[in-house]
Amino acid sequence: MRYYVQRVALAILLLLAVSMLTFGALNVLGDPLFNILGPVAGDVNNPDSIKMIEAAKREFNLDRPLPVRYGLWLSDFVRGDMGVTFSSTGQPPVSGVISERLPRTISLVVLAQLFAIIISIPWALITASRAGKVSDRISTVNAFFLVAMPNFAIAVILKFVFSIKLDWMPLTYVAGDPLGSRLFQLILPALTIGLSVAAVYQRLLRSDLITTLQQDFILLAQTKGLSKWRILFVHALRPSLFSFITVVGLNTGALIGGSIVSETVFRIPGIGSTLVESVLRNDFPVVLAIVMIVASSFVIINLLVDFAYTLIDPRVRR
Amino acid sequence: MSTDSPDTTVNPDDGIVKKKLGVGFWICVIWLGLMVLVALFTPYLPLKSPTKNYLDPSNGRPPYSPSWKHWFGTDKDARDVFARSLHGARISLAVGFSAITAGFLIGGTIGVISGYFRGWLDRISSFVFIVLLSFPSLVLAILLTSLIERSLMTISLVLGLLSIAPVGRLARAATLQYADREFVLAARQIGATDRRIIIKEILPNVAIPMSSLALLGMAVAVVAEGGLAFLGLSVEKGITWGGLIQLGSDSARTLETAPWISFFPILMLFLTVLSLNFAGDRLRTFFDVKEMTL
Repeated sequence: MRYYVQRVALAILLLLAVSMLTFGALNVLGDPLFNILGPVAGDVNNPDSIKMIEAAKREFNLDRPLPVRYGLWLSDFVRGDMGVTFSSTGQPPVSGVISERLPRTISLVVLAQLFAIIISIPWALITASRAGKVSDRISTVNAFFLVAMPNFAIAVILKFVFSIKLDWMPLTYVAGDPLGSRLFQLILPALTIGLSVAAVYQRLLRSDLITTLQQDFILLAQTKGLSKWRILFVHALRPSLFSFITVVGLNTGALIGGSIVSETVFRIPGIGSTLVESVLRNDFPVVLAIVMIVASSFVIINLLVDFAYTLIDPRVRR
Repeated sequence: MSTDSPDTTVNPDDGIVKKKLGVGFWICVIWLGLMVLVALFTPYLPLKSPTKNYLDPSNGRPPYSPSWKHWFGTDKDARDVFARSLHGARISLAVGFSAITAGFLIGGTIGVISGYFRGWLDRISSFVFIVLLSFPSLVLAILLTSLIERSLMTISLVLGLLSIAPVGRLARAATLQYADREFVLAARQIGATDRRIIIKEILPNVAIPMSSLALLGMAVAVVAEGGLAFLGLSVEKGITWGGLIQLGSDSARTLETAPWISFFPILMLFLTVLSLNFAGDRLRTFFDVKEMTL
């Protein structure tokens, strides 16, 4: 029990530190007033502008000291209110933007993870059963190529081959389409993220499988005359999945990074592409909200993976 | 990440297993060397100008496809893609190299010191590392680049900052392995100062495995810079591979009619990252560094 409490406390502490850093950096290094009002913010000699500046300062709490603003923001944030976007009207509220766009990113990331798992497990099984042979070597080279290919390059190549040359896949994502066609539109973006991740998973699972395949119970299964595929799937796969599952869990960060690129290339209005747009527009409340959501999900998933570990192997708790 | 055993041959005379780096390693090193030379000397090579518009009315409207005159073709503004791709190596490699150098110097120092002295210093630095690692790296990079003037220097520093936490954790872990070994205790017994022990006893043991990871780290940094440039968030003035790829793929029409604009920079970037990864991986197996990933 003590272990769990400690871990949760550490996670909360981490998120507080992350939010303070982000909030502080955005407010100290950035210029919120300028982002709200534009050039008017610098026009301090014109009485009209001064009035607008004062009003904006009051509305966005910019006249309060930084720690107070942080406190206000935090108390709003934990209640689900992420503030207003930096614009003269403050519309739409950040929470609205996020709740509209987050589901798209989540479905993209989940789909990418699914692709990666579906591709990597059979790939690893086949290569591990032929370790050292020509086909295994070719596959190792392929995996190396995939890992070395940055995801924005994969995105461009997939788009060129499947959307433009073969015309099998739609070019972009249309938010208004029915669910089925939107899922179809997500296939290429998800493959963009999933392919290189699949290569990483395959390398890991292949080496674990090779270790498992050298153990005595596999030899026993072979001498019993079981078929090769039955041994691979039923006997060898399950004990080899331990570190695979961990890495799948911990890899969410890479997937989120990949979704930023993929959403930008395929024009999906998710939180990844929104992050880039908001950064370019200096819309800091949106940036802050997205960074916090991403960091929280990252920290929470890590926590869950650690907890899952303790269920599998109680020694971790100490 | 690779799981292959290194190329090993048993020498029949003494039975000692000898490790080899392999042919692939040297091919990668040659490509990397070539890229470094290109990056250093592009301004002095007899290349076309990367910014000049080579309009050719007899050839119709640009982009022009690859030809003897323009090996990699030209972009929409009739600029030479070959010259631009070579120029792109400059920023990509400079950022990659300085980022990983900064990361190793800062992260390595923090890691070794906290691993050696332990105590509260170690706790603070470990917490800072975890905080930095709580951001997915691309998100942190985007956040930081949004707040600064995006120059070669600052982008390198941002990517260097990103590598501090992973490098620092590795250095700390490696230092912990050695901090209580006999030769360190012996040095302390004969009155060596902490500073001397760190520099003379610990550092040589930590530096060799760490340096074999430098190439892998540089691959990560080059990809990260490419990603930032692709999103329009890298060095503002100048040509980078990521920016070139973005320029060639920003509209489906450009990509359809003139794929060479983005595909040649992709090829250059891919070969460079592949070489860094492969050579780094070979080095790591060569020095037998386990359980260490960037």
